[in-house]
Amino acid sequence: MFNKLVRWSRKKSPWILHLNSGACNACDIEIVAALTPRFDVERFGVLLKATPRHADVIIATGPATRQIKDRLIRIYEQTPEPKFVIAVGACAMSGCVYRGAYNILGGIDQVLPVDVYVPGCPARPDAIVEGVVKLLGKL
Amino acid sequence: MNDAQIMERIKTLLAEKAGELTNPFPRRLYLKVEHPNLTAAMAVLKDSLGFVHVSTISGVDLGENFEILYHMANEYANLNVRTQIPKSNPHLESICGVIPGAVLYERELQDMFGIVVDHIPDGRRLVLPDDWPDGQYPLRKDWTYTRPEEKIPGGKTS
Amino acid sequence: MRFTIPIGPQHPALKEPISLRMTLEGEVIRDADIRLGYNHRGLEKLAESKTYLQNIYLTERICGICSHSHSTCFVQAAEQLLEVEPPRRGVFLRYLVSELERVHSHLLWLGVAGHEAGFDSFFMYTWRDREVVMDILERISGNRVHYAINTLGGVRRDIDEAQRQNILASLSVLRQRSEYYLKIGANEPTFVARLAGVGYLSKEKAVALCAVGPTARASDISRDVRKDDPYGMYAEVPFEVCSAQSCDVLGRTVVRVKELMQSYNIIEFLLKNLPSGPVAVRAPRRAKPGEAVARYEAPRGENIHYLKANGTDKPERLKVRAPTLGNYAATIEMLKSGFVADIPLIFAAIDPCICCAERVVTLVDSRNGEESVVPMSRLRAMAEERYRRAPVKKDAEWPL
Repeated sequence: MFNKLVRWSRKKSPWILHLNSGACNACDIEIVAALTPRFDVERFGVLLKATPRHADVIIATGPATRQIKDRLIRIYEQTPEPKFVIAVGACAMSGCVYRGAYNILGGIDQVLPVDVYVPGCPARPDAIVEGVVKLLGKL
Repeated sequence: MNDAQIMERIKTLLAEKAGELTNPFPRRLYLKVEHPNLTAAMAVLKDSLGFVHVSTISGVDLGENFEILYHMANEYANLNVRTQIPKSNPHLESICGVIPGAVLYERELQDMFGIVVDHIPDGRRLVLPDDWPDGQYPLRKDWTYTRPEEKIPGGKTS
Repeated sequence: MRFTIPIGPQHPALKEPISLRMTLEGEVIRDADIRLGYNHRGLEKLAESKTYLQNIYLTERICGICSHSHSTCFVQAAEQLLEVEPPRRGVFLRYLVSELERVHSHLLWLGVAGHEAGFDSFFMYTWRDREVVMDILERISGNRVHYAINTLGGVRRDIDEAQRQNILASLSVLRQRSEYYLKIGANEPTFVARLAGVGYLSKEKAVALCAVGPTARASDISRDVRKDDPYGMYAEVPFEVCSAQSCDVLGRTVVRVKELMQSYNIIEFLLKNLPSGPVAVRAPRRAKPGEAVARYEAPRGENIHYLKANGTDKPERLKVRAPTLGNYAATIEMLKSGFVADIPLIFAAIDPCICCAERVVTLVDSRNGEESVVPMSRLRAMAEERYRRAPVKKDAEWPL
């Protein structure tokens, strides 16, 4: 009974942490634009948090570069269980145009285990919201 | 001032230091300078012709030599000063005494090509990651890179 | 005592991985260091293995906010090398999208500045109106960001009469709303006082450190690539170069707001005088050996691309210098002898586009080398506390 309550509250308002790992910024602006009055994801209870210790969901953009690999893993380990990772944008999925560059390892899934992929270059705010909702449906 | 007037003034002020001076497109001038005369020529260009702004410094790998281009601008035109240094002994004189803002571009040259910039005020690594091995200079033409094996979660290996 | 503060890579409003390590003496910053590398994607090496047409797609993705500026700058250089001259209607449409991008970028920046100064409702208002611009861009090109409207020899899509009237109507709505923000900003004394006197950069230092864009124009340097080195059809468009004398963050805000108004005028001029004709010409695939330099005034400053061709259909060398890299040396100068509480604002004032510049900033403190981690939100909270208790500077005025 208590578990059901906890699961319901987690589903009702996931707190997200936004991580940028070497992206061109377009997906990140679209994530922040999802908070603005037009798309307004805060009405779903989603809050953008600054520290991994408060977050339930990590939203990662950008291809994984060599420099940021350790930090990504460290932040992932600092997030308390249960945690989920959403990879937003074509770069986070597979590296987009940067595949083959010497400083790029590929998508985020080369470093972290990903639950939901949101395609697009950049992914529209509507698509990002749908990605978050799909994740909540899996919970 | 238009391009022709600027070219005249460069020829008079720099005299024997100026090498070939071309004007292939409007407002684009290319001047060749030998490496030992570089700093003196820069000082003259900055003080007498108003080329105080360095937009960037590019390096090109020509095989035997490196060609370094300094892209400078004043209110009338864009002047690109080029100089060549041998790849076997890549030492470049820093122009930070004349134009302090060039330090970041020179640091990038050090990282990417392995050029050693003498008398640079701050020669730390700029763009490459901390764990990059020494002696690997990505923008040299003979530098190749093999991609590591990529794992696809839940699928076949590539 | 000195201690080093790394400000960690993720942060709510600075959307890029930036690590600031500052050396402090009490609350005053003594030294700053720049460490680039989180965003280094090896683009220049990648560009040598792709054709000119593929490189347009690649250079667009250098940055998400100023994507059209990189793509246009590259196309300007490539068109010089391939010896094609785009038709007039294509040129007008290309720079129409440029000015729309400038509007969207400045509105974005105004929102971020408001957020950094603690004025969150301003942030929400400006970003809501930015959506009007995104709709216009989507109507013209099909995507909100990364418009892919450039091609070698012109533009890919045309606009018809209905779209033109639509854009003019949305423009008048935008102009009205921007004037409203101007009134709010000018009449809110705490907002103005928060920005005045912060991040001082004198004119001599700005010239010596080669600052570009609104950062330089706020220090009384009237340098704008659209006037000094006019490309496209800018030689025929009537507009003024906006500058300010106050050399601080307030000056930079004023410069950007003035530029916003100028951009509205330019867009109106372009739409009213749009010539008819084709929008693109065919371009050859190979370029004869040669080199070209293209400069462009991006919303953040001067963007320069150097392109060298060797007779094949792939470039020999592409060098990109994005505007934020040019402002980095000036930023270190501004941060020295500033306060910790001002760091978010100073950094936001140069309008950092870290993906363009690929950097990580580390500020190092001097007195005893101690280290402590302070997240950016804590810094912002410290800033708000400090400025709430400080008396409002009565003589801070909106110099417009």
